[in-house]
Amino acid sequence: MSERLWEILASSLPNLLLYCVKVTIPLTACIYALSLVLAFLLALVQVLNIRFLSGAARIYVWIFRGTPLIVQMYIIFFGLPSVGITLNAFPSAVIAFSLNYAAYMSETIRASIQAVPVGQTEAGYMIGLNYFQIMTRIVLPQAAKIAFPTLFGSLIGLTKDSSLAASITVVEMFKAAQQIAARTFEPLALYCEAALIYLMLNTALTLLQRYLEKRLSWKQPLTE
Amino acid sequence: MLEVKNLRCSYGTNQVLKDINFRVDKGEVIAIVGSSGSGKTTLLRSISFLHKADGGTIRFLDFEKDITRLKGSEIRRLRMRLGYVFQNFNLFRNMTVRQNVMEGLVTARHMDRAEAEKITDAVLEKVDMLERADYYPDQLSGGQQQRAAIARSIAFRPDVLLLDEPTSSLDPELTREVLNILTQLAADGITMVVVTHEMGFARNVANRVIFMEGGVVVEDAPAAEFFNHPKQEATKRFLRTVTDDCG
Ligand SMILES: Nc1ncnc2c1ncn2[C@@H]1O[C@H](COP(=O)(O)OP(=O)(O)O)[C@@H](O)[C@H]1O
Ligand SMILES: [Mg+2]
Repeated sequence: MSERLWEILASSLPNLLLYCVKVTIPLTACIYALSLVLAFLLALVQVLNIRFLSGAARIYVWIFRGTPLIVQMYIIFFGLPSVGITLNAFPSAVIAFSLNYAAYMSETIRASIQAVPVGQTEAGYMIGLNYFQIMTRIVLPQAAKIAFPTLFGSLIGLTKDSSLAASITVVEMFKAAQQIAARTFEPLALYCEAALIYLMLNTALTLLQRYLEKRLSWKQPLTE
Repeated sequence: MLEVKNLRCSYGTNQVLKDINFRVDKGEVIAIVGSSGSGKTTLLRSISFLHKADGGTIRFLDFEKDITRLKGSEIRRLRMRLGYVFQNFNLFRNMTVRQNVMEGLVTARHMDRAEAEKITDAVLEKVDMLERADYYPDQLSGGQQQRAAIARSIAFRPDVLLLDEPTSSLDPELTREVLNILTQLAADGITMVVVTHEMGFARNVANRVIFMEGGVVVEDAPAAEFFNHPKQEATKRFLRTVTDDCG
């Protein structure tokens, strides 16, 4: 490799890392927190079978899972201004991503709640608990454990998908790499460098997932 | 103490319980026997309101009502006084044995924690599970899980304890562990209704034996009479098949 290339890589690395820490990670964190809350509510109204809301949640999931994320982003960022709603790029991305991810994650949560054996609920009733107590103390903790790997998978997917926000002018890590690549005419090196940073970020997340899964386990070997 | 009259129950169009009459008095141990599919589980489940009955009345102590017209609050109040032991234990998997037992005392009955702990220790001692109190269900054998489940349902001193084939998912040695506990509970005077295939247990421990077939009670007699002088042909046939199995 030429010396010039090394220099470009070395000088762009702090820049890319900065955009990772300043934009990619906050973007991902905002979206994930919002979609988790929304997904939980969407799942809950379906599990509780609340009239109207339950049907509305199903229609919501149908629409937001059935249309491409990038189209949803374009509608919010480029489309809404024509009806008088103008949002900056970052909040547009947060909203579009959250609405989309919530649709997927609500299905994960709903399925996990329904995967808790009905015998657990029946046993709860037979020791005198009410429905609320059964949900909060027995069903939801068990559902959380079932949902955890899939929901964590969504987080890892999201860190990568956040690069799509570049298409509506959010300057996150990938967009920053694009700009440097255009300036230096070294797209191969720059995009590989960006890819490597995503990979490291997700490696860290995977390690965190393993650690948390062990902590969440209900059958740690007890010392005799 | 507990009585149901004209109980009817179905799954869709399949009528599973046809006009069941059945009563338990204080301190009695009743064994319900019968081949599988005869409606034993459905009977226990409808008494506990886990399955909605089509008709009948229930009397529990001084409370009597059409079983299909109970309000949610009445169901909850009745359940507070019923213990239920499931065929497959159904211990709460996210709680240790101790937490499983405490749950009905502290969360459901708002008992003081220290007092609940004392009671929990005592019932776990009774079922010989005190040493495993801090284990999670997945770390225990079936027999240990079932003993913990029994502890959970006797901790709040139910007026009647319902048990649905408490040993049928256990191998013979573990079955003996659990039957010993039940024998001891019977000696303590706990009112029990046990669905079982253990004829030795029914003969030696139960006061009365009820034989069900096709959703009806075919015979209801004191244990000695049931085994020595069954009145119905169907009962005799049933007893022959189960003794053949053993022999
Ligand atoms: N969940 C269910 N759905 C439909 N039919 C059922 C269900 N549970 C039991 N049954 C039917 O009800 C009848 C009685 O079942 P059950 O009460 O479980 O009998 P037992 O406990 O004596 O073996 C059986 O014919 C069975 O097929
Ligand atoms: Mg059964």
